Formats: sequence, structure tokens, C-alpha cells
Amino acid sequence: MVGSGRDERAWVRRAQAGSASDFEALFRAHWAPAYRAAYLVVRDAAAAEDIAQEAFLAAVRALDRFDRRRPFGPWLHRIVVNRAIDWARARALRPEAEQVDTPAPERPERDEELLRELDRLSPEHRAVIVLRYLLDYTPGEIAEMLELPRGTVNSRLRRGLDSLKELLQ
Amino acid sequence: MSYRAPNEQEAGERSWEVVRAAYESREPVAWPRRHARPLIAGALVAAVVAAALSPPGRSVVRSFRKAVGVEHAQPALFSVPTPGQLLVTSRSGAWVVQRDGSKRLLGHYRDAVFSPHGLFIAATHANELVALDPKGHVHWTLARPSPRFPAWAGTRTDTRIAYVSRGRVRVVAGDGAGDRAVAPAALVPPAWRPGAGRVLAYAPTPRTVAVVNIDSGTTLLRLGSSEAIRKLEWSDNGRLLLVFTPHATRVYDPRGHIVTQDDPSDAMLDIDAAFQPGTERVAVVRIPPSGISGSSDVFFLRTGRKLFNVTGAFRQLAWAPNGRWALVTWPTANQWIFVREGRRKIIGVSRISTQFGGLPRVADWCCAS
Repeated sequence: MVGSGRDERAWVRRAQAGSASDFEALFRAHWAPAYRAAYLVVRDAAAAEDIAQEAFLAAVRALDRFDRRRPFGPWLHRIVVNRAIDWARARALRPEAEQVDTPAPERPERDEELLRELDRLSPEHRAVIVLRYLLDYTPGEIAEMLELPRGTVNSRLRRGLDSLKELLQ
Repeated sequence: MSYRAPNEQEAGERSWEVVRAAYESREPVAWPRRHARPLIAGALVAAVVAAALSPPGRSVVRSFRKAVGVEHAQPALFSVPTPGQLLVTSRSGAWVVQRDGSKRLLGHYRDAVFSPHGLFIAATHANELVALDPKGHVHWTLARPSPRFPAWAGTRTDTRIAYVSRGRVRVVAGDGAGDRAVAPAALVPPAWRPGAGRVLAYAPTPRTVAVVNIDSGTTLLRLGSSEAIRKLEWSDNGRLLLVFTPHATRVYDPRGHIVTQDDPSDAMLDIDAAFQPGTERVAVVRIPPSGISGSSDVFFLRTGRKLFNVTGAFRQLAWAPNGRWALVTWPTANQWIFVREGRRKIIGVSRISTQFGGLPRVADWCCAS
């Protein structure tokens, strides 16, 4: 569970001062959303683990320079999603690369079906859908995070949802 | 959407071990120093104003420089602390700087780069690619529209220059013969892969990289970037490719897999990065955003180990060919800082823009032997 803004600022402040337990609290609060976001964009558990882990390592490297007035989560998620898009694009350019490592269940439930259909979208479309509907960012926040115009985010959300609807019909 | 990804718990535990080890091995900045930065930044502004207003103000500047670690900067570039020749460009043109500090203005060139053994220089005018020697004698010229970013590679008997002109990357032999267009390209400096074969990395668009064999025309690799690419650079052994951008730097292995990456926080950005010669280590220059006071760092990418930091904004990082000294340009203080890696030593050179007729950019540093 992600902590309140005040908790988070306190964790960052104390982690900067060397408190391992506060850094762990920060990690525990943000690991699952980061890993899930990466997984939903790349659909490969090993790659998602690498991507989320690398994002936290970047956080360690940047910890002393981190501006505590800013929230930690959006910064981390921006790294995760951008790296996940890079990875997914690179995989698309390497068709020999490994396949998705999660076998589809024999009788997929609605969620599983939805997730498999999500996999058919481009990484860019997947990313905005994951940020909007998994991580609950507003289109404005997504636009800022991915450095995209707000209209582009809205159109990607619209087109992504339309494609999902078509695929599921 | 409530969703759990596969192996979430196990992946989290494995990653926590790695991340915890990284956290424990970092060198935290002590509280007084971190909190002193805004004070130092404020002191800089006060010092500059004071220096402009009164002679005693200059002593404030001196004490400020002492505070940030570059004490007793040389008033001029009396010498370069390590073997090799520097090639520098500024508003006044391209300059060659010898180890003894002597400088020669080659002419009003925009870009410049040494040939592989430092015997010649490829430079660009408005509509001309020029090959000249370090004394400034022109050997050949090639008229092309707006040529930019020459990159010269090869052996003593077979060299070639890649450059970008009017939306295409072109290649010409070292004697000026056989100029040809290779492919459409964005305005990003191309980079030859060291070693055998004529392999070139260039940017077909601002956010993509292609690695091609120029002789066969084969594309060896295609890579994407989430933001506009500023710089491409190979490690000396030709194994790793650095794709530098301010917020998403990547280092790729020969199969196009990312081996190292860097994503600075929203509050910072990377301004330059370069391989340390003879190694696969990348040093990165990180600065605060424009208009925001703060400190700049030079650090190694994988380990995060800090090489040097100051208040204000660095601009560029260049390694000496032997990999033992780095040159960091520091426009905030109008200085060049030479930093020796390992047994650290710092040499500052002040009033640098006065000496080069404008703030200089290090275009190349060649040939220790």
C-alpha cells in the first residue's frame, strides 16, 4: 500500500539521512505498483522484475539529489513506464526474442482475457492505459510524466479503449 | 483495476536484496553539506554581485571558489596536465591546444575532429567540409550544404569521414574522394565503431539509432529512444554503444540489450556522458534544470561513485585519451576543471572564455602516444 504524501516525504527524508528501514518502507510501498505497471506493458515477468529493480536502483543513485517537495511515486513510475516502453519496442525489433512467459489459462477469466488483449496494443497505448487504470493517474499527470501533450494522452486512451472493446467483442 | 502480476512477492524479495545492497553501499551526503547547498548557491549570487560592485567583492568570489573545492584556479591555461592535443571550438572558431598550453586558431570552423592518429583535422564551414593539418594548412575541401558533426576513423592507410548534411549521413574517404550519401539522418553526431570493419552508428530520426556496416549496407542493429538523442559513443573496445539523452541514457551491448541505463529524477537532468577510455565505464554529468540553483555532479553510471561536484552547472565532460584525467567545463564559474581519477587531483583554469574568444567546447582530445 502506498503511504500518504506525508509518510512518503518522511521516508524519503530519513532514507536520505541513511535510515535503511525508511528506505525499505519506501521500497515496500512502491514495489508492487511499479512491478505491475512494468509487467502490464512488457508482459514478461523477468523483464518486469529487471525494469522495476533498475528503477529502484536509479532511485538509490538519485536519492541524495531527490527533491523532497515532489512525490516519489510519479517519478518512479515515469522511469518504469519509459523503460518498459523501450524494452517492448526493442523486443518488437527483435522477433527472435523470448515469448511472453505467462501461459494463458485454459478457461480465461474476464480479467485475463482483457490482459491478453492489452498485449495486442502498442507499448505506447498500453503504457497510458496502465498509468490511467492501474495506477490511477489523471490524463494531465500522465502527460507530464511521459512528456506528451495532453491531447495525445487522451487520444491514446480513447484509441486504446476502443481497440480493447473491439478485440473483446 | 485490481491486479496482481505473476511472481510479484518473490520478484519483490529478490529485488529488495539487490536494491538494499545498493542503498547500503552508497555514500550518503552528510546533512550539513546537503543543507549547505542552497546557502552556497545564495552565496554565489551575492558573491557575483559583490564582485561586480567593488574590489573587495573579489575576495568573496575567491572564498566561494575555495568553498566549492577549486582553490587557486590558474588564471590561464598554462599547460594541460596529461599528454595529447585538445581540439576546441568556440564563437571565434576551432583551436588546437598543445600540452604546453600553446594555442593555435585554425580558422572560423564550426565543428572539428582529429583524424585517427591526430595528423589531420576534419572541420566544417557553413557549406564546406575541410581537411587540414594542426598548423591550419588546408589539404582538401568538399562543398556540401551545411555539413555537421564529422567523425573520422580508420587505419593509417584507410580512413573515412562520416558527417551529416541536409538530412543525410554521408561518408567520404580520408583523401576527400568517393563522397556518398548513406541514409537519411537526423542532426545527431554519428560515431564509428572502433576496430575492424566500417561500422557506423547514426540516428535515422531524432529518437532512433541504426548501426550499419557501410560496405555491405547491412543494418546490424536498430534501437529506439524515448527522447531526442544528443550523443552516440562507442566504448574503446567497440563492444558497447552509449545512447545519450538528458533523461533516459542507455548503454547497449552488441545484441542491442541494455546493459546500463540512467533516468535522473524530475528535478535534475544529464547534460553529458562519456566512456572512460580503456574501460566500459560511463561517467555522467548531472545538473539542476536551467534557472534552478543546485549542484552539478560527475559520477560513474553503474556504481554511482562520484568523481566531482560543484555548485552551479557543468556543461561538458571530456576524457583524456589515457583515461586518467577528465576535463569538465564549468560555465557558471567561467572555468575548466581538470580532474584526475583515482588519486584525485583537481586543477582549475579560470577566465576560460576570454582565452578562446567565447565559451569553448571540447571537440576532441587526441593521441597520447
